[in-house]
Order: sequence, then structure tokens, then C-alpha cells
Amino acid sequence: MHELYIAQSILSSVKKSLPQNVAAEAVTQVRVEVGQLDAVVSETLVFLFNAIKPGSGMPAAELVVETIPVRCRCRACGEEFTLDLPVFLCPACGSGDTEILQGRGIRLTGITADVDEEAEHGHSDHS
Amino acid sequence: MDIPIIRDVLEESNARAQENRALFDRHGVFVVNIMSSPGSGKTTLLSRTIPLLQARGLSCAVIEGDITSTLDSERLKPLGIPVVQANTEPFGGDCHVGSHLVQAALKHFDLARVKVLFIENIGNLVCPAEFYLGEDRKVVVLSITEGEDKPLKYPLMFRECSACLLNKMDLAPHLDVNMEALKENIRRTNGRLTVIPISAKTGEGIEHWVEWIVKKG
Repeated sequence: MHELYIAQSILSSVKKSLPQNVAAEAVTQVRVEVGQLDAVVSETLVFLFNAIKPGSGMPAAELVVETIPVRCRCRACGEEFTLDLPVFLCPACGSGDTEILQGRGIRLTGITADVDEEAEHGHSDHS
Repeated sequence: MDIPIIRDVLEESNARAQENRALFDRHGVFVVNIMSSPGSGKTTLLSRTIPLLQARGLSCAVIEGDITSTLDSERLKPLGIPVVQANTEPFGGDCHVGSHLVQAALKHFDLARVKVLFIENIGNLVCPAEFYLGEDRKVVVLSITEGEDKPLKYPLMFRECSACLLNKMDLAPHLDVNMEALKENIRRTNGRLTVIPISAKTGEGIEHWVEWIVKKG
């Protein structure tokens, strides 16, 4: 159940990433990338995020999880490949000596906040 | 308003781990994070390993993270080494040892007197693999009673570790375990993993493991 710790960490990261003029209550969406290798169950993560978000002052925040597939490079022959199953053998030469290129780690990639446009002091780059 | 950002969600956990790492570096402590499923023999392994390291002049200490209250700490008491229980909740608690728990435990050690520190993680093949604690090496103990398929079912654990100890080898004659299939599944998950068959009970193979520690993996 490391999803609970991860959900707490996501909320904490969001708070630290908000510009000063954006209140936590205004956050409507939080986007994260989760590597497939991290063994995080997205449904569990969203469920727990929803359970604890009111206590973190973000009752309106929706968590959107993008799962990043695992990509490897073979150290023996240089082949790069994406995994459908957790078998890390090089499909070209059969070597088990492979390095992970992507699909490991959890990153906050974006936040959407519902802010009063007039309060944005004339910024023109918002949607 | 969209706020684009790229931020490591586990940055706080990793920051604590880096602080632990700095302490280990300052005192020259080699730290091994030992992980496994419950009942694979981690505590028996430590009981068997630590006297051999001490005989080589390497003083040891243990951070005991398993959630069996203080039972494991009690088992290690005869070794006469510093043991700190990281998890004091008697009915269980976290699914993994966090870097903040290691940081709190370190306050109870005189690291200047420790050469090898073992972190006995909580029995679980999923969650502990996710978190860096500041250790030098991660090691997974897999007892051969658990089945040949475990590396494929818990790939992150077997990817993250530098060595895999195949424990309870003394039971091999009584089991249907296919050792070749087990080793092939380990290779399919991580071809770089050092595989050391052992029996923490009889002492079989322990010298190879001790040698691995002495050479710092």
C-alpha cells in the first residue's frame, strides 16, 4: 500500500508547486506520470488521493494518472525496446544485461487551477 | 490556468535519503538494505552473517524495520551489537521502511563505531523496492519455498537489487523447486543480479555472501 504515501507526496508536491496567487482550494486537476515498473495501482492511487484531498485543502482536485511504459536498452548490443511483460531480456540478442530508459519514477507533470481571471493582474497567457 | 511542471513526487523522501547518505559517507559506513517477503529468513540470515563480519574486524549494526513489534530485535540481542527498531507499532503499520524512519533511527547509533549497517526492511516484495533510503546496496532474499515465478511477479524488486540470496537451500531435496527455472526467471528480470544460494540455517554459502559484503558488492 505504498499508494497512500505516494498520494500524500503528490498533494505535498502540488502545494509546493503552486504560485503564490493560487490557492490550494482552486486546484481542479493534478497530472502525474507513473512508471509502469513502480508497481503503482492507478485505481488505488486515485481512490486514496480522493480520500485525503479534502484534508489537504484541495477538495476539487481530480488526479489524472498517465502510466509510462518501460523502455530498456541492451548493454550488450544497444537494442532499445519497450516491454509488454516484465521480461527484461533483449529481444535482439537475448542478453539479460539491460538498463532502464523510462518507466521508473513518479513525476508531477501539471496542475490546473480555477482562478479568477481578473485576479491574474492582466496575464495573457492563461487559458 | 494550467501550471506545467516536472517534479519528482518522492523528492522529500529522496532528500531524507540523501541526508542519510551523507552521514554514511562521513563515517565510512557500508549500508545494505535487505528486503524479502515475510518469513524468507532475513533475521536468521543476519544472526548468521554478523558474527562472521565481526570476526573480520567489521563492526555491525542493524536497523530493524520488520513489523513484528520487537521480536526481531530480541532475536538479534545475543549478538551484542546496536539494534534500533524503526517501527514500534505492535500491530503493524507501514508497508516499507521510509528514509525518515532510517534518519530517526540513526540518531541512536554512534556511526563512527559502525562499518556495516544492515537495514532489515519490512517483509514485502512490492513497496520497499520503491524507496531509496541512502543505502549502498539493495539485496533481496528469496527463499526457494516461495516459487520460481517470484522475480517475474515482482520485477521492480529484482531490478533494484544488486544481489539475490536464494535462501533455505537445505530444503531443496524436499521441494519440487526447479532451480534452473528460478535462476532463468531472475536472469529474465535482471541479468546483472549476483545470485548467491545459501542456507541461513546450516550456514551453506554464507561465506560467499560475507565475501560479497567485504568487497562491497
